[in-house]
Amino acid sequence: MSRRTFACLAARLFPVCLLLASPMTGADDAFDKAERALASKDFDSALGSFEEALTADPDNLRNASEYRQATIQKAIAGHPKEGSPADFDREIAFFGKLTEANPKASNAFLNYGFSYVDKIPAAGSITQVILANNALGYFTKSIELKSTWIALYTRGNSYLYWPRIFGRAPLALDDLEKAYAMQKAEGKKSYHVRVYISLGDAYWKTDNLDKARAIWKEGAAQFPDSTPLKDRLARDGDALKDYIDNVLDPNKRVDTNLRELWMTQ
Amino acid sequence: MTTERFARKAFKTAVAIALAVPLVVFAADAVVAKIRFVEVGAAAGVRTEHHTRRFAGPHGDVLRMFTSGGASVAAGDYDGDGLDDLFVTDSGEGKKSHLFHNNGNLTFTEVTDKAGVGGGNDPLSIVADALWFDYDNDGREDLLVARFGKPILYHNEGNGKFKDVSATAGFNKFGNTIAVIAFDYDNDGFLDVMFGNYFKPENLLDLKDPHVLPNDLDNAINGGGVTLWHNNGNGTFTDVTDKAGFGKHTGWTLDLGHGDFNNDGFQDVYLACDYGTDRIFFNNGDGTFRDATEKSTGFDTRKGMNAEVADYDNDGWLDIYVTNITDEYMKECNMLWHNNHDGTFTDVSKETGTCATLWGWAAKFGDFDNDGWQDLFVVNGLRSAGKENYIPVLLNDLITKPGVDFTDVANWPNIGNMTWSGYQKKKMFRNLDGQAFKEISAEAGVDNDLDGRGIAIADFDNDGRLDIYQTNADQPSLFYHGVSEGIGNWVQFKLTGTKSNRDAIGARITLTAGGLTQIREIDGGNGYAGQSSKRAHFGIGKASKIDSVQIHWPSGLVEKIDGVAMNKINKITEGKGIQR
Repeated sequence: MSRRTFACLAARLFPVCLLLASPMTGADDAFDKAERALASKDFDSALGSFEEALTADPDNLRNASEYRQATIQKAIAGHPKEGSPADFDREIAFFGKLTEANPKASNAFLNYGFSYVDKIPAAGSITQVILANNALGYFTKSIELKSTWIALYTRGNSYLYWPRIFGRAPLALDDLEKAYAMQKAEGKKSYHVRVYISLGDAYWKTDNLDKARAIWKEGAAQFPDSTPLKDRLARDGDALKDYIDNVLDPNKRVDTNLRELWMTQ
Repeated sequence: MTTERFARKAFKTAVAIALAVPLVVFAADAVVAKIRFVEVGAAAGVRTEHHTRRFAGPHGDVLRMFTSGGASVAAGDYDGDGLDDLFVTDSGEGKKSHLFHNNGNLTFTEVTDKAGVGGGNDPLSIVADALWFDYDNDGREDLLVARFGKPILYHNEGNGKFKDVSATAGFNKFGNTIAVIAFDYDNDGFLDVMFGNYFKPENLLDLKDPHVLPNDLDNAINGGGVTLWHNNGNGTFTDVTDKAGFGKHTGWTLDLGHGDFNNDGFQDVYLACDYGTDRIFFNNGDGTFRDATEKSTGFDTRKGMNAEVADYDNDGWLDIYVTNITDEYMKECNMLWHNNHDGTFTDVSKETGTCATLWGWAAKFGDFDNDGWQDLFVVNGLRSAGKENYIPVLLNDLITKPGVDFTDVANWPNIGNMTWSGYQKKKMFRNLDGQAFKEISAEAGVDNDLDGRGIAIADFDNDGRLDIYQTNADQPSLFYHGVSEGIGNWVQFKLTGTKSNRDAIGARITLTAGGLTQIREIDGGNGYAGQSSKRAHFGIGKASKIDSVQIHWPSGLVEKIDGVAMNKINKITEGKGIQR
């Protein structure tokens, strides 16, 4: 049993453990090497080692997520604001090859989609649309391979960023309702708060404010310290619209770090 | 500039604005004037309907959509009677542009045919912009008509008639020109000309290759760039684009703005570019310019539509306002480039409330309530047509299609009768002591929803209140008479250069009154599709006297002006002070 699988099971995150579990000790070694390089801000070495780890263990959610976070760190360190669009081309190309070589690796496709999301704030307004559309394509592929909570939440949440004019909010509702049903069936996890937030937003965006408030309230009962839920419930009308529009501003970086899946309960 | 330094400057500016908010509230309470306009276009005899050019062939619809500018206006006193006249363009094939003579009682008489300046919309050329400037310093305003094609230069013969001198002037280069400005970049006393070109120089009306559209919708580099023409002082111009340092710019230039951004006595240039980064060029003072974009503003991916130059916060340094697209489906935000006094600028549009004006076009500053702070008017709207929206069609049929070639006209879906960012309300902002702007469009009476393009601001009836002429694509123009009550005192200056260019373009007036020091630079056509009056207008609020006036002429002469009359138009000749 690998160190991370043990840690995972110790933390009783069984569904996530299944995603992470693998006997690839070579991948672990490469991952550890990557983490050390990242700690010393040797980004190029870190990225190389993460790629090595992912090549050895293509469907590993943690390795992929940390690889993307390292890419973001490098981009921001090298360029003002959110980095240059080209800073993200390496990870996009890498995930392209990884998924081509591993067409059944659902988490690799999920992270392929995330790599496009990571590039969005660094891109121009029209390129953002193209990137967002590409991301949706790979999220869909991931769901087709394995319909997981994280994949459904991710795609559903992504639909919310599209302006109403494109009519994608009902699609968000479908995905997020499925993720909601999944999390109801399993034990409470800290990251489940995300679905309460996004599902409420999806109802708000499909002009069902009563249902939105009900979901946010249900979430707030489960997660009383959630600031995003409190913020939504404290607002109405234009103030609520301005708040959600601001949250869903495509120019702001979306937190695509998946660490919460294995670091917390 | 390093990232850290840039961030520090941005932070300082944001802090300064935040600290100023209580002052803004206090000052706003003290102002009593209410800015108001009344639309009088038909009564004044200046309402004209613009026509965009229609293209033949299967891709005509797309090309028409891409060339839906061309509705421009230029204000200038062509007959020297002390009243600003109007030249308004049309772009339809065979359609005439219009010259309106100002009768002085807020009515105008069309004199296009007599003057002989209505032409230009031939089967292979499209009129797109116009500019009044005295290129030969003979004291009469000449007229330059910019086209998708070769420009037309009309010499003012002085008897209400104009003569086409294009052939002898040397403007012999084809360009898909959408913007033109005149300024004296080498301070030799003659006005030079810069053309801003949208498409690369291929004739769209005789299209041989369909790959003429932007090669990237955020970072395009296959546009027409700019050309700079040096005035030889003998009625001819020479293309100095490469020599001056502009040859490498191949962006989709949509507007040009000039001004002395670094207070060194030489005119600098800002290029607003569609589908990619704007550019700022500083004048080296030796006939060349340097591209300072990376250090000064940074690169952007927005849709630059307008370059207006003014000192909105009265700190003695020129700032720049650029409109972009901020709509339901595209959140770019405009840019109000605050001048940091060191060759760099910080965008404060969000902090000042001037960020979101929908699909922006022209924007101009003017002190509409004469309180000493320049207000802002922005026009917007691309295409108001049927109920169906073009955006989802564009998204599904082009933008999100894998591997599609954006440059190919054939790949763009036809727009038919669909609306694209149409029916948008115009935006007027009142300047709150240079710290923030408050939107007052509806109460000011200017919140029309036509497809705006150009703006000319001038005091057409010489009553001390600025008026506005607004052009609209494929729609009638509007003429807003300024009727604000309870406004402040004012003073206007009509400058005449002697050693400097006679229009005094580039001359800087510094005025102090009521504890406020303001600057104005005479500009040669800043702002998209519109030239405002070359007469400088200052509001001075409740000040009962003018403390000082100084003019820095392009020749280098710095002249202190005595005896300035308040609430009057003061005529000043270089080196000779006020002319009674």
